[in-house]
Amino acid sequence: MNKTYRVTKRHLLTAAAAYGIVPASAQDIPANELALYEAARKEGELTWYSGQLQAETGEAAGKAFTQRYPGIKVNVVRSTSQVAYQRLSQDMQAGVAQCDIFSSTDYGHYNVLKRDKSLLPYRPKSAGELIAAARDQDPDNMFQILYIGLYLLVYNNQKVSAADAPKSWTDLLDPKWKGQIAVGHPGYSGSIGVMGVTLSRMYGWKFFESLEKNKPQVGRSSDDPVTLLNAGERTIGMGVSLSAPLLSQARGNPLSIVYPTDGTLAVYSPTAIPKNAPHPNAAKLFMEFACGPIYAEVMRKFFIMPLRPEVPPPDGAQPFDKIKLIGSSPAQIEDGVPEVKEQWRDTFGV
Amino acid sequence: MRRYLRLPEPATVVWIILIAALLLLIAFPLTKLLLVSLYTRSGTFTFGNYIAAYGRARYVESLVNSLLLASETAAISVVFAAPMAWAISRTNMPGKGLVWGCVFGAFILPPYLGAIGWILLAGPNAGFVNQAWRWLTGAADPLVNVYTFQGLVFVMAFQSFPLIFIFVKSALDLVSSELEDAANILGAGTWTTMWKVTLPMAWPSILGGAIIVFLETVALFGTPALIGIPARINTATTQLWQFFEAPVRVEVAAAYSIPLLLITLALVGAQRLMLHRKGYIAQTGKGGERRPIEFGVGRFVLLAWCLAVGVVSVVMPALVLLEASFARAWGRGPSLANLTIANYRFLIFEHETALSTIWNTLWFSGASATLAALLALLVAYIVSRKLVRFGSVLGFLAMAPFVIPGIVMAIGFYAAFARPPFALYGTAAIIILAFTARFLPIAYASSSAAMGTLHPEMEEAARILGCGRLRTIAQITAPLLKKSLLGGWLVVFIVATRELSAAIFLVGPNTRTMAVLLYDLSEAGNFEVVAALGGILLTITMVLVAIGMKLIGRDFMLRGT
Repeated sequence: MNKTYRVTKRHLLTAAAAYGIVPASAQDIPANELALYEAARKEGELTWYSGQLQAETGEAAGKAFTQRYPGIKVNVVRSTSQVAYQRLSQDMQAGVAQCDIFSSTDYGHYNVLKRDKSLLPYRPKSAGELIAAARDQDPDNMFQILYIGLYLLVYNNQKVSAADAPKSWTDLLDPKWKGQIAVGHPGYSGSIGVMGVTLSRMYGWKFFESLEKNKPQVGRSSDDPVTLLNAGERTIGMGVSLSAPLLSQARGNPLSIVYPTDGTLAVYSPTAIPKNAPHPNAAKLFMEFACGPIYAEVMRKFFIMPLRPEVPPPDGAQPFDKIKLIGSSPAQIEDGVPEVKEQWRDTFGV
Repeated sequence: MRRYLRLPEPATVVWIILIAALLLLIAFPLTKLLLVSLYTRSGTFTFGNYIAAYGRARYVESLVNSLLLASETAAISVVFAAPMAWAISRTNMPGKGLVWGCVFGAFILPPYLGAIGWILLAGPNAGFVNQAWRWLTGAADPLVNVYTFQGLVFVMAFQSFPLIFIFVKSALDLVSSELEDAANILGAGTWTTMWKVTLPMAWPSILGGAIIVFLETVALFGTPALIGIPARINTATTQLWQFFEAPVRVEVAAAYSIPLLLITLALVGAQRLMLHRKGYIAQTGKGGERRPIEFGVGRFVLLAWCLAVGVVSVVMPALVLLEASFARAWGRGPSLANLTIANYRFLIFEHETALSTIWNTLWFSGASATLAALLALLVAYIVSRKLVRFGSVLGFLAMAPFVIPGIVMAIGFYAAFARPPFALYGTAAIIILAFTARFLPIAYASSSAAMGTLHPEMEEAARILGCGRLRTIAQITAPLLKKSLLGGWLVVFIVATRELSAAIFLVGPNTRTMAVLLYDLSEAGNFEVVAALGGILLTITMVLVAIGMKLIGRDFMLRGT
């Protein structure tokens, strides 16, 4: 009982700095998490290789974790997903165990890691309370979906009226958007690769050949169009992630988002515990936490879709049940993306 | 005592270590690059990597694009810089301080920041220049479009002309007025003299400067990624980046960069050959007077040219970036209500990695500048005092990175040091070593020039009084060269703080530098913050430049050495 009391007290002390989140009292930490916490406190820390979240978001999630479970520090190693994976592979080759949580936006990484038997199976108990799309995606419980990226259309509302704005992906082929569209590049952005695979499954590659007639400006990342739209250089952004325009909008930039009527692209990003994780209990506790409501609240504040049904979507966004989602299976993505990269370079010349 | 025991002088040991260091830093990565390009992962000899690297028309085209871009950029930089250098060095043009400032500004503005500035200025639809043009003329078409081959060339030339300026000015400074007087006496006017006498004397430096610009441009990564991709122009560097996507194909990247290296060597060879048979000696024992050419109205024409170059290369992009860095929302345009310091506050107090990248940048640059200065001083000492038999080979090695495109150097470093047994990938060491090697020529040029001005008699006096070599260097040579060493140190430090193409292939999650963070942020659609980080980088640079000016003199960075 004494230990439980200490948790509560420290929590109240740090609560003021929390992200407006009600501090946890021992009573609302479930028994299974308390047991993990007991073991994790001896480990004292955990290291999170993350390619899913921006640095600020990752740090905020880490801080919220430490506030709920004092005494366990989270080292966020933020990079792009490819670099995070490269780092993990090098650690494994060199026989160094550093990473406790591995988050990438590339499903392919988990297929390889799973094949190599490099992952620790764990099904977070709290995962059962997530929305259906995020639940039990791996039959062997080797990884857990913690992030669903939504990619949609954005327009500059000073230059284009809501009535005029494109409503679907196919609306982008209208010649009136010639010289107006901006888009990322599958060679630089994994999600644009998934967009290529998905849209070409729906409409054939000829969709992109028709798009080329409108001379889109090709950048690198999926969020590149935001800069161009803010400056007024282009008016329509294609395949932009939900969070970037919402954040930019909150700053006062003249952007509006459109959920395409033929489907919003959803990219599912797993998170896993490596088999050789040096702090396995802290890692498991983190997985429980990441499937729980506090994590979902932090995501909401950073304009990322929370995966808990009871947590409302970020300001300016629609809840999952109001959105028509499209996407591709991990196998389709793994096979399709390399081909899409080649086709893209042939069609757009870059 | 030691000498009685016939042990080698400690200095000898140092020379051996020095030679080993140069071999490790420069010869080893280049050799490794060549070897990696010729073998498969499993170790069998193959030309397959070359076929993979050049087997597609698109890949070859990228290289050709880079070569064309770099040649045009070099040519346009000469057009920008040569008249400026001549005006500053040889004429009575007014406002020289202002022009100096512009050249300086162009030198310290990192290339990718200038590129972002020009995207905002010359974007075909919303660029300020084009908005103004449409407002003034009512035209529908843009005046300038940054997303074109020519646009890319001009943006690159804005960033690289100071290199030519430095070379040409230092050459012109040495041409004595007597040569020009002779031409005048024989009836040539000011212009004829300039064309037939002064300019030809500066020819080697123009060519040398153009080659350096060519090499720098071929190696640029940020500008081609920011402007080239939207303009649908693939370059060698964006192509190399693709070979570095997971799974990393370093052997293909190595094969792709070998021809780039050969072209570079051919260029340097050609320059030697072209200048081989002519005499360019400007400095003789006969003194010779140097006085400015008197111009009437012409001097204002020259000033207008210099200022025009300054405005387009520095003032305009810097103003746009400054405005963006203080904007709440870039899309709302300039207004008082849109003004904020939140972007700076966010980076300094809230952004978790920005501070650590600033710190990384400072200490990586400081460590490489120190290492480079130390190596350069010792090599310059050996070469100028002829202490070992093949000393000039050391000098050659120290200068070699000058003609190796930075990105090729980075791939060589990756091939040599990233994997076991060194396993330096993601460590600070690999970046510091790469920066040291890459910028060693700058430090070496400044040390060796300074060494040339130092008569050995002072060292000999110390040696006669019983000092060892190392003590002589530490107590006599180094203090005498303090200013030049510090100058070289600062220049290396400043160019290292903005280096992107060498860093981008070598950074790990914990070793990102500001240049790399800027590049990453430029992809995240949060332009206001990118501009603010650029502002912080420029502030740091300017503080250092101010310190340098205070300690060493106003022209320390642009002194031709």
